[in-house]
Amino acid sequence: MFHLSPLRLGTLALLFAGALFSAFASGYAGLEILTEILILAILVIALDMVAGFGGMVSLCHGALMGAGAYAFAMAGMSLGLPVWAAMLFAVLFTGAVGWIIGAICAGSHGIYFIMVTLAFGQMGYALVFESPFFGGDDGLAGLARPDLSALGIDLNRSRAFALYCLAALVLVALAAAQILRSGLGRALVGIRDNERRMRALGLTVWRTKAHLFGLSGMIAGLAGVLAAQHVMYISPGLMAWTVSGEALVVVILGGLGTFVGPILGAAAFVVLRHEIGALTPYWHLVVGLILIAVVMSRANGLFGFVEGRLARLAARRTAKADAPHREPRDA
Amino acid sequence: MDFGFWLFQTLNALQLSMLLFLLSVGLTVIFGLMHFVNLAHGALYAVGAYVAATVAGMVGYWAGLLVAPLIVAELGLLLYWLLIRRMRQSGPMAQVLVTFGLIFVLLDLTRIIWGDIALGIEVPDLLSGRIEIGGVTYPVYRLFIIALGAAIFAALALVLAHTQIGAMIRAGVDNDQMAACLGINVERLFLLVFCIGCALAGLAGAVAAPVLSVTPDMGLKILIPTLIVVVIGGLGSLWGAMAGSLIFGFVQTFGAVLMPGLASVLIYALLAAVLILRPAGLFPARG
Repeated sequence: MFHLSPLRLGTLALLFAGALFSAFASGYAGLEILTEILILAILVIALDMVAGFGGMVSLCHGALMGAGAYAFAMAGMSLGLPVWAAMLFAVLFTGAVGWIIGAICAGSHGIYFIMVTLAFGQMGYALVFESPFFGGDDGLAGLARPDLSALGIDLNRSRAFALYCLAALVLVALAAAQILRSGLGRALVGIRDNERRMRALGLTVWRTKAHLFGLSGMIAGLAGVLAAQHVMYISPGLMAWTVSGEALVVVILGGLGTFVGPILGAAAFVVLRHEIGALTPYWHLVVGLILIAVVMSRANGLFGFVEGRLARLAARRTAKADAPHREPRDA
Repeated sequence: MDFGFWLFQTLNALQLSMLLFLLSVGLTVIFGLMHFVNLAHGALYAVGAYVAATVAGMVGYWAGLLVAPLIVAELGLLLYWLLIRRMRQSGPMAQVLVTFGLIFVLLDLTRIIWGDIALGIEVPDLLSGRIEIGGVTYPVYRLFIIALGAAIFAALALVLAHTQIGAMIRAGVDNDQMAACLGINVERLFLLVFCIGCALAGLAGAVAAPVLSVTPDMGLKILIPTLIVVVIGGLGSLWGAMAGSLIFGFVQTFGAVLMPGLASVLIYALLAAVLILRPAGLFPARG
């Protein structure tokens, strides 16, 4: 069941303080990296919701993010909606797409689920890539950021934009925690642990999965909107399956289903990419080796490893206090 | 759109299908026998193409065609001992992730060894030039690809249906625990199949090298079509791999000519439909 332990809350507070500090302390390059981290963090929260808490390992979240970006661009350019309305439209559109994909895929499990979501993601990619309506291979340029000049904020400056993304991330994290804490989220975790039992309890399993996938899609769509506003340009590359794969890698490196871990993973991933990318052009080699090592070590990512260790330590201590001769329990 | 047009496109479709068949047959039988998802299969194909290009540049085309499968099979053996043996008991997600990491590693290793520039490879005199059939002139090399794919399919079908080792493989795919109880060393059988699958991936790379340019990301590009073929055809089945390859080759080729702009969408829609209506694929290996 979803629970924000003191360790998780503390880490979240630390991460927030760190992001706030670097938003004010860093220069242009640092702010660009920070913004990248914040947007990736929103995407991986969306992915962790379905993959970590629902057992639905999705390989289409990159495409959902791209769908959000394209919906935002098209709503602004073709429908002529103002920026805020276009953002809302994009989030709702991606949520609807996510709901439909979730409803269709609800019956698939394991490797088949991964494959169907991959197929849907690639379908979107092919649609955008081959259609001149969406700008095709060239992408679309000239996207607008929201105008907050009424509040005295100029979002075209990178510090203001980083803070805007941070605000979005905090809102998303609060919303995701609320969703996972609700009856819907608990039902989802129940499905992950034992789908047949939940069905026997009278739950309409596919509907729970679809609802969660839709909500996750909305969050991924928001990440797409922010990514589009960040670089003010979108291309089909945003929807390639490797983007979904990388998001999954971030979730795994951080700690699947730990809520905090993926956010930590996003920060580590982007910083490492920039640091190693500056040293060698072969950054993928390093990340590949790290990924293999983490998965083969059977630890649940960075955060899962720390959490497991601390829990074992605490269990050993209570076991000792209770009965000194008893074997320490495994947590 | 006369007869010549249809014949020409049919040959194109067949050539693409056979290339995909060489790749997907290894992947599908590996999955069927050991339930192992090897996303790095495409990367092995790229390695095969590079090895073939290098050897062909030094010794000649036929040597490259022969050496590439052997080297890739060796690489597969190495991967088996280092990684895959330990991943047998893990869930599908761990396997997907480890082999996804392996894609990254192999991609950058090929870039380190061979650089980023695309390599070309010369076709031997015997297979160069064009030949006239049914009123259209068609490159001989592409006919060679079709023939090679068909020959490999026939050989594999014969081995699977009429030899003892084929019977053991079929038993292993059908029920590996029961096969092990009957005294079949399923693990060794799997290793054999894995090496053959890797060798076929290397062969596909060597065969594709003169047609497509040899670049580091060629494995990444072919991976998704291969997975689609395997999933449409049904995991673990030789006939499924052939059927899936043909479906993909024809839909892709004729879609690109008759409905440009919709060909790829058509493929993915087909895949989604198959997965939803017949989740085990069209020709599943298990009854």
